[in-house]
Amino acid sequence: MESLTSLMDGFGTALTPVNLLWAAVGVLLGTAIGVLPGIGPAMAVALLLPVTYGLEPTGAFIMFAGIYYGAMFGGSTTSILLNTPGESAAVVAAMEGHPMAKAGRGAQALAAAAIGHFTGGMIGTLLLVALAPVVAALAVDIGAPDYLALMVLAFIAVTSVLGSSRIRGVASLLIGLTIGLVGLDQLTGQQRLTFGSLQLADGIDVVIVAVGLFAIGEALWVAAHLRRTSGRPLPVGRPWLAREDVRRTWKPWLRGPFIGFPFGAIPAGGAEIPTFLAYVTEKRLSKHRDEFGKGAIEGVAGPESAASASAAGTLVSMLTLGLPTTAVAAVMLAAFQQYGIQPGPLLFEREPELVWGLIASLFVGMVLLLALNLPLAPVWAKLLRIPRPYLYAGILFFAAVGAYAVGGEALDLVVLLIVGLLGLGMRRYGLPVLPAVIGVILGPAAEQQLRRALQISDGSLTGLVNTPFSVTVYAVVLLLLGWPLLRKAVARRAS
Amino acid sequence: MTGGARAWLRAHSELGVSALLLLLGVLVLTDALTLDVDVAARGPVGPATVPLVVGCGLLAVAVLLAADVLHGGRGEAEGGEDVDLDAPADWRTVLLLAGSFLGFAVLIGPLGFPVSGALLFWAAAYVLGSRHPARDPLIAAVLSLLTYGVFDRLLGVPLPGGPLMGVL
Amino acid sequence: MRLRTPFALLGAALLVLVGPPLLTPGSGSGSDTGTDIPGLRFMVPNTPGGGYDITARTVAKNAEEAGLTGGIEVFNLPGAGGTVGLTRLVGERGDGRLAMSMGLGVVGAVHTNKTPRTLADTTPIARLTEEQDIVVVSKHSPYKTIGDLLAAWKANPGKLPVGGGSSPGGPDHLAPMLMARAAGIAPRDVNYIPFDGGGELLASILGDKVAFGVSGVGEYLDQIEAGELRLLAVTGAERVPGLDAPTLREAGLDTEFTNWRGIVAPPGLTDAERERLVGLVTKLHDSPQWRESLKTHGWTDAFLPGEEFGAFLTAQNERVDTVLKELGL
Repeated sequence: MESLTSLMDGFGTALTPVNLLWAAVGVLLGTAIGVLPGIGPAMAVALLLPVTYGLEPTGAFIMFAGIYYGAMFGGSTTSILLNTPGESAAVVAAMEGHPMAKAGRGAQALAAAAIGHFTGGMIGTLLLVALAPVVAALAVDIGAPDYLALMVLAFIAVTSVLGSSRIRGVASLLIGLTIGLVGLDQLTGQQRLTFGSLQLADGIDVVIVAVGLFAIGEALWVAAHLRRTSGRPLPVGRPWLAREDVRRTWKPWLRGPFIGFPFGAIPAGGAEIPTFLAYVTEKRLSKHRDEFGKGAIEGVAGPESAASASAAGTLVSMLTLGLPTTAVAAVMLAAFQQYGIQPGPLLFEREPELVWGLIASLFVGMVLLLALNLPLAPVWAKLLRIPRPYLYAGILFFAAVGAYAVGGEALDLVVLLIVGLLGLGMRRYGLPVLPAVIGVILGPAAEQQLRRALQISDGSLTGLVNTPFSVTVYAVVLLLLGWPLLRKAVARRAS
Repeated sequence: MTGGARAWLRAHSELGVSALLLLLGVLVLTDALTLDVDVAARGPVGPATVPLVVGCGLLAVAVLLAADVLHGGRGEAEGGEDVDLDAPADWRTVLLLAGSFLGFAVLIGPLGFPVSGALLFWAAAYVLGSRHPARDPLIAAVLSLLTYGVFDRLLGVPLPGGPLMGVL
Repeated sequence: MRLRTPFALLGAALLVLVGPPLLTPGSGSGSDTGTDIPGLRFMVPNTPGGGYDITARTVAKNAEEAGLTGGIEVFNLPGAGGTVGLTRLVGERGDGRLAMSMGLGVVGAVHTNKTPRTLADTTPIARLTEEQDIVVVSKHSPYKTIGDLLAAWKANPGKLPVGGGSSPGGPDHLAPMLMARAAGIAPRDVNYIPFDGGGELLASILGDKVAFGVSGVGEYLDQIEAGELRLLAVTGAERVPGLDAPTLREAGLDTEFTNWRGIVAPPGLTDAERERLVGLVTKLHDSPQWRESLKTHGWTDAFLPGEEFGAFLTAQNERVDTVLKELGL
């Protein structure tokens, strides 16, 4: 109840005309920059940091929160329309969102994403208010063996996205794992598959892989088989969500936060794994499973909601522990320090006005963003009406800009092209691209946690199963694996 | 080579994927085996363990895929809204497109972003069948310059401006 | 219709060639302090929010506020512990309008990555700040003093995992290795676990996943004050004012360790260009804005300009080299 009163005070701060203005400015700027290719929320926040210098802290952070959430909304727009995700959280949005856009359902995909972000953010922020101290305490108890167990669970989930040919799906997954191996070994600092190149030492960014496989790979594949006969532009379709769409998406919207929020709060979290888990969950639960991969609206709604909620989870660890779990949080932490404020266990006592004002402004920002993005969805979707040569030339152009803007290295462009050609080959021979992207995301994370767990236990294998949490997760994994066998056995007995 | 053999190879071109996977597996394994494992790693999993597992996996999948292809398995080429699978593949377009992209990577240093970016867009649009001799280059130039302005000037993400920077 | 094509081509060419220079405003209007370096750019060899990033952006902001120079453009070129940026910097030979923020971590990364370009190839401008490392445990830890910890560590180094926020070769890795050496533990026996920056490390110390953690003194001040973390020792030559913890030497370990950050420029600068950069940083060091920033960030002033910084870099390089060789890195 105490936090409720504080939150009310926070709304008092956030709803003053000046702070409302900063929230609106932040939301607009964030959306505008988030839609640019190659610029995810972390970069958007870092780039706009100087803009906030002139403000007093509360106003600055309210604007910041607006930029952060705005950039996430904007990021999925590029992902859906152009198939060029700007950061890892938006990768999953491209998988179902872009096929929807190509089929003339771009407005619906964008609307599903926007409402997903809204519900995810709202529920996530509510959980932040209600549970912050509890979650923060629990998050710290999660260690390497627990992460590893979660990764194993995620790997089991991969089997549901391998596609019609198991062997080709596994081949794709292994290609992804191989790409994930490139770079310095995180524990011993040894170079693996870098061929002496320093630029490869930090590995190949999952965004480069996703943009290469999705955007470049598809542009090349379409070029090989361009339907020259049809001059008609892409259909745009109805601008609003139909009743059928809402019936299919309201559950994913509500489920997403419960996957996203806890993952955001734990260190080594980030949004890739929760968005992916939300995706496979929706695929499992959907009645339209065959539509997945061709534009299933649930596959946009669930992951986007999870992504937004994970952002709220990130704030939990940052505000209560001073623990940045993602790049965005690290930038915001730096910004706090600019003002001489140290987020951490004492922040809520020292700066209650600022913290609760910030939290309240998250709610305000979310409402502003929904009001801004929902009407914009059909407008954005109309962009796809441009002639196809321009559309695909534009996709190549923006993919190149995004890859180059990150590091200013021409080598990144060459890597992007190589991954793109790989994507072309995979499309030609029926290797699904999704498992490869998952391999790049999960592989390095799983290896790091496995080896860290073993290192902590000084090499003893019991270090992998020495927590109740990990044992529980492995039990779930066994149950999932054993269930089909069990069902078969039961069925046999019955017959 | 006889015509029959060529036709057989064409029908089984997916074996190339197998060969590539095999090659990749060998590459990963060689890299893993040449790692210096004499560093302070504890327990059974060192820096080479995971690459070894992945490498062996690649070899196994290469063999299984080859067996599948020889038994008549086929990877289904991906369809899509703009994809006409009945038409023969137009590899010339693909090569030109990939070439334009590579050209962009090479030219961005000496010519700067606005020039190379405009060339990329123009070339890509042309290759994909756009035939507006006046409109295409102008759209490309404006798009490229706008992007440059937004990134370099407004956002402070540095992009190379071109040979005339500092001259004018 | 046909005639329009050449004009369109000409127009397009003009746009992309002449447009960029016209979009760029002329040289910054710095005041007449004689320190203005028009078009000065700062490269940050790690990601936004990292240590070098904050240093560079603070320097840029303070220099502008103090009226020492026009706008300084700060950009990030992260990769391989800062060596990607270093390689680029060395490649920009003779560019008097470029500088890079860096620190001890880059010295280590040059060694672990075995890069052909080293800091000896750069023009040293100045060391700016230094920061001691701290040895911390969680409040639940059985180790109440640094003595308890050292006794247990010597008895069984493998069973006491040490957490640090940097990859092998980085500051948080070097500090426990130097400690181990002074305590008579072979550095190879140290069970060091690298974490992805201070955040992940903090969680693992709080959750007792590692026996103790080593990190910069500024990172966890709040957690120490709140009693979540117990501070056992500081690693520098002298105690840190306001912190109730002995130095390593007081605890009987004959070693000291301090992390530092500074600025280097590309090689091949003329004396005038070098003097101008050193002059700018010296003026910055004397400005009230910089004093204020030192205080808000909790940085210790460790100003060391030009040649002296160069000599310091050489000494640091040798020290890092010795430690890493022993580890076989």
